[in-house]
Amino acid sequence: MNNSVLKGTGYVLVHVPGMLMHHGTTQTTERSVNPDSEYLKELPGHIRSYEDCLAYPPNQTYIGNLSIEELSVIEEPWFDKKVENPSRFGPFGEVMPEDEFAVLMQICDAFDLVHLDREFVRNVKLKLEAHPLITQSMHALIKEGEDSELIRKQVEREHAQPIIVGDQLVGYVKRAHDVDVNLSAHVIFENLVSKASEVLTILHLLRQSGIDPTEVDYVIDCSEEACGDMNQRGGGNFAKAAAEIAGLLNATGSDTRAFCAGPAHAIVEAASLVKSGAFQNVIVAGGGCTAKLGMNGKDHVRKGLPILEDCLGGFAALISENDGINPEINLDIIGRHTVGTGSSPQAVIESLVTNPLTAAGMKITDVDKYSPEMQNPDITKPAGAGDVPEANYKMIAALGVKLGQLERTELPAFVKKHGLRGFAPTQGHIPSGVPYLGFARESMLAGRTVNAMIIGKGSLFLGRMTNQFDGISFFMQKNTRKESPSAVVAPALITDLPVIGVAVPDSELGTEMIRSAVDTARKKGYQAFLIEGDACLDRMDEMLKSGEIDAAVAAHYAFPVGVATVGRIQTPALGREMFLATTTGTSATDRTEAMVRNAIAGIIAAKTCGITEPTVGIANVMGGRQCERILKILSERGYAIRFADSARADGGVLMRGNDLLQGSADVMVMDTLTGNLMMKMLSAFTTGGGIESIGYGYGPGIGKGYDKRILIVSRASGATVIANAIEYAAQTVTGDLLAIARKEYDKAKKAGLKTLIDEMKQRSQTGVSTAASIIVPPRETCTEEIHGIEVMELDAAVEALWAEGIYAESGMGCTGPVLMLNEARIEQATKILRDKGYVR
Amino acid sequence: MDLENQKRVKEIADQFGPENVIVVLGAAEGEAAGLAAETVTAGDPTYAGPLAGVSLGLLVYHICEPEIKEEVDAGIYDEQVSMMEMVLDVDDIITEMSAIRDQYTKY
Repeated sequence: MNNSVLKGTGYVLVHVPGMLMHHGTTQTTERSVNPDSEYLKELPGHIRSYEDCLAYPPNQTYIGNLSIEELSVIEEPWFDKKVENPSRFGPFGEVMPEDEFAVLMQICDAFDLVHLDREFVRNVKLKLEAHPLITQSMHALIKEGEDSELIRKQVEREHAQPIIVGDQLVGYVKRAHDVDVNLSAHVIFENLVSKASEVLTILHLLRQSGIDPTEVDYVIDCSEEACGDMNQRGGGNFAKAAAEIAGLLNATGSDTRAFCAGPAHAIVEAASLVKSGAFQNVIVAGGGCTAKLGMNGKDHVRKGLPILEDCLGGFAALISENDGINPEINLDIIGRHTVGTGSSPQAVIESLVTNPLTAAGMKITDVDKYSPEMQNPDITKPAGAGDVPEANYKMIAALGVKLGQLERTELPAFVKKHGLRGFAPTQGHIPSGVPYLGFARESMLAGRTVNAMIIGKGSLFLGRMTNQFDGISFFMQKNTRKESPSAVVAPALITDLPVIGVAVPDSELGTEMIRSAVDTARKKGYQAFLIEGDACLDRMDEMLKSGEIDAAVAAHYAFPVGVATVGRIQTPALGREMFLATTTGTSATDRTEAMVRNAIAGIIAAKTCGITEPTVGIANVMGGRQCERILKILSERGYAIRFADSARADGGVLMRGNDLLQGSADVMVMDTLTGNLMMKMLSAFTTGGGIESIGYGYGPGIGKGYDKRILIVSRASGATVIANAIEYAAQTVTGDLLAIARKEYDKAKKAGLKTLIDEMKQRSQTGVSTAASIIVPPRETCTEEIHGIEVMELDAAVEALWAEGIYAESGMGCTGPVLMLNEARIEQATKILRDKGYVR
Repeated sequence: MDLENQKRVKEIADQFGPENVIVVLGAAEGEAAGLAAETVTAGDPTYAGPLAGVSLGLLVYHICEPEIKEEVDAGIYDEQVSMMEMVLDVDDIITEMSAIRDQYTKY
């Protein structure tokens, strides 16, 4: 039976100095036991600003902006180092500031327990509205807030827990019951923090994996909190509570608890649920923990460091049915710490690492990377706990020596080769094995690594129910489905990678640069080579035909009419991946028809790269409205499209310049010339228009019936772009571009694409010609506007109303063309325009 | 040292008499071993737990020190501890532990 796959991950940090000071147990304990202590006096001087927390290298690694390799070369300690131009958002998630999180907590509160200051809400609401992932339905839950005086009274007299941002009391969480300790303000506060950070992480996971929220059918929460009342402490269920806010309408769920080993247990459960066929898309998620904030604060203060435990951590992963692409969770290799195992480190590592590998006929050196507890050593070393991941690697290597799989002298080399630097916040369950999942997935998709072992461990004795220790490990491997469904490991896969030819005649940057790009791609595990000479493009064509190469990266290649290329770019600053449809070629000679066909090509490209339901936005250019109308009808008639929503306040499918920069849609549809312009601007953005240094180039030529995989780069494309283009080319093979294209064009045809385009062409030809026979009705005051009419049809729409005796004028609003008329006429006019097909 | 462990050490010392108790540590490096040893001899250096200001002066060893290793069945030691022995800086641990014992142990 097919293994399930890891389809996406989400990683979130929330910088919460207020909670650190007022809710971390080290601080609250100190305040009650030793209120005048030096520590409490010195504490405020050791708090980091949001900017410092954001620029802190391990935090940038946690959200995916800085690779583990890049982090490893930064000399430790890291607390005094800063990443230049750090981004709040990364491929895996974000670092959210405390003020926005306070409002998010209120959004996640279903029982009117979170109350915020009116002025505070007014300010922060605007910030949260700009957040790309907080949905409209979530915004609608934000309450107005109340007077600061009332808030102060609640905290001073009614046992409410304060919410403090900066030095300001901005709200409180009140108790949910007068006597029930399980519903005390303290417990509710902790639980809402866990829920809200879990929700945020799930939103990032949805965005990253591209899954439709309604397709998620199970959620497993693996945090370390307990929600319930005095009659059922820990009754649950965080999973379903978070799923509700995140809009997972078709999901049910439950909570799994195993201290820090919770996430690893939950992944094994999720993988089993999917493999059994009981559920198709299971999310594992865990929110952050206030109690652990500043846990080692005394040591950090004593050693003159900032308090590094100032962030809540969130983690989420999507486990889905095998898609033949994403890395698999191999359930044949599960390390288990059983009741009889015992708790000595040796027994623990044997049970979790060497026993399952030996049973599968593998040696410790057969695993590319191990991910045990990934605590950031910057935090643990000053507290006397050493470098936790490194200690784990040494233990694994030492066992390897004992088993005769490794020479003792090879121990340090093993640690370096199979180990990873720790980078996760010490939030208990958060660092335990799973922080590496995101990087592991990327690395296996790119063919850089073949497998990894994820090891979760937990200290059950802390609950005082048993003296037992606990742990579980699982094995992740590159997708094996196409090659050999029963294979346990897939080291052979690398040689089965697609072969890519690169033919770039007359690069402005020279052949050496192209050679170095090919080298880079090869180092990443891609099979690519340079096709040289004056006739390199002809040679490339021949090699494609003969099957010598599976795909090609080329410059100056002429496609037939009907084929246009879909570029792929990372947006500046935010680094979001976006497909520009299209960037070269001609999908049709009629502008609007071309844009409709570009949309389909964009969807094909995105799906090929693993985004199962890409969001589609249409650039607000001439022809945009008409394109929108046709795509919407097409979608209603069976060619389902997931439309994006503009990040601007008024929303809509039409994308403004801001949306292009924000990457509001996975696929941005536009005419080819505009696409070409955008591609060049976005990819040469950081070099001031010099070398194109960002993105994947202009992408594969896509068109109905077109059966080649040729990707375009320009003569100004730099080494990074060409190396990325090789990766994109490999994905057109592994993701089966041609099969997806056939399927999509077939679906669009069945939904009536041709008829719709013919009707549109006819309308734009006949639209203006009747003008002479129309009498303009008497002028009326025009106070109302009708939006959504295509600019090329605007005059025809005005005349259509004149013909019916309604006075109207055309004009330009700030987002596009508008038709203006008297308010008394609006209903009748809208009906006429709808009947005639000018608006929807 | 964990507050709960401090409490248990204190209770055991009270119950059986400090002269009859030996504490065996499993800490992963010298500094941590030294801190734990200091806690059960001179008292909790962080002044957070039940042993704050309580100088029990107990005899204390790390599991990897030769005095303890000699007491343990060689087969069991190999099965339970030999891996960690390979990983840890045993010399550093012995230095730290000896210093604490010389200074604070009363028995």
